[in-house]
Amino acid sequence: MSAEHNGLSIPVNQSLPAQPGPANESPGPERVLFTPPIDIYETGDGLVLVADLPGVSVQSLDLQVQNNKLTLLGRVPSTIPPGAKLLHKEYEEGDFLRSFILSENVDHERVTARLNNGVLEVVLPHAAKTQPRRIQVDSD
Amino acid sequence: MPVFRWRDSWEPFRDLERQVDRLLEGLPFPFPVLRFERQFPPVNLYELDDEFLLTAELPGTSSENLELTVSGGVLTLKGKRPAPAGIADEQFRRHERVWGSWERSINIPDQVQEERVSAEFTDGILKIHLPKAPDTKPRKIQVVQGNNP
Repeated sequence: MSAEHNGLSIPVNQSLPAQPGPANESPGPERVLFTPPIDIYETGDGLVLVADLPGVSVQSLDLQVQNNKLTLLGRVPSTIPPGAKLLHKEYEEGDFLRSFILSENVDHERVTARLNNGVLEVVLPHAAKTQPRRIQVDSD
Repeated sequence: MPVFRWRDSWEPFRDLERQVDRLLEGLPFPFPVLRFERQFPPVNLYELDDEFLLTAELPGTSSENLELTVSGGVLTLKGKRPAPAGIADEQFRRHERVWGSWERSINIPDQVQEERVSAEFTDGILKIHLPKAPDTKPRKIQVVQGNNP
């Protein structure tokens, strides 16, 4: 089953957006860039996209829709005090990037997002079906 | 028959693992139980002047769903990540995230003051502060001359 036919497709190749958001002001040392795990599920009104972004806050998340492409870039500011000595490492700290192609079926104007406890939830409502418009025919 | 040869070819690897293990055993590593373990949640451990700092990534968990206990040199982390409520399996078009209950125990060094351990949970990252006890002064032990038989 491909997600593409139902509103979202996930490109394989990742690259940084050409216009980084405000979260990109201090590039700092080279960071690891992760593809966050996501869920996508359907509701009656559209799609919901959920992404795990541990360490990302509302201030450090940049979510953009441009040319049918939804891009999420989550910066993870390091909270480890300077001078701390790393004794043991089981996970890498890094930023998160992933982008999705939205179909015409998604109402871009009504996309909403919430971020709680490091989990982003993006609601992608279906565009309202265009109603047939009756055209009044007049005679002279 | 070369059927089971792969076992032989891995044997040197096991030897190497044992050697590395022996090397590491010689190092003064304060959290021996963490060595070579792959458990959930993955943790990082830092040492500062006055404390050890343990961090774990737990997105989607809330502080109400986290239970931390420390007793007898063992720190136990327990947690639950609830599945999204009311979403049927057939509604999922992509499913990469994991949920469920987990538990992990970590031995902590003697020098940690258990009664002062504290934790904070922000944006899906758990940080546990393990304060070190102030340096204990070496105590000189008087040697008394015993009676010769």
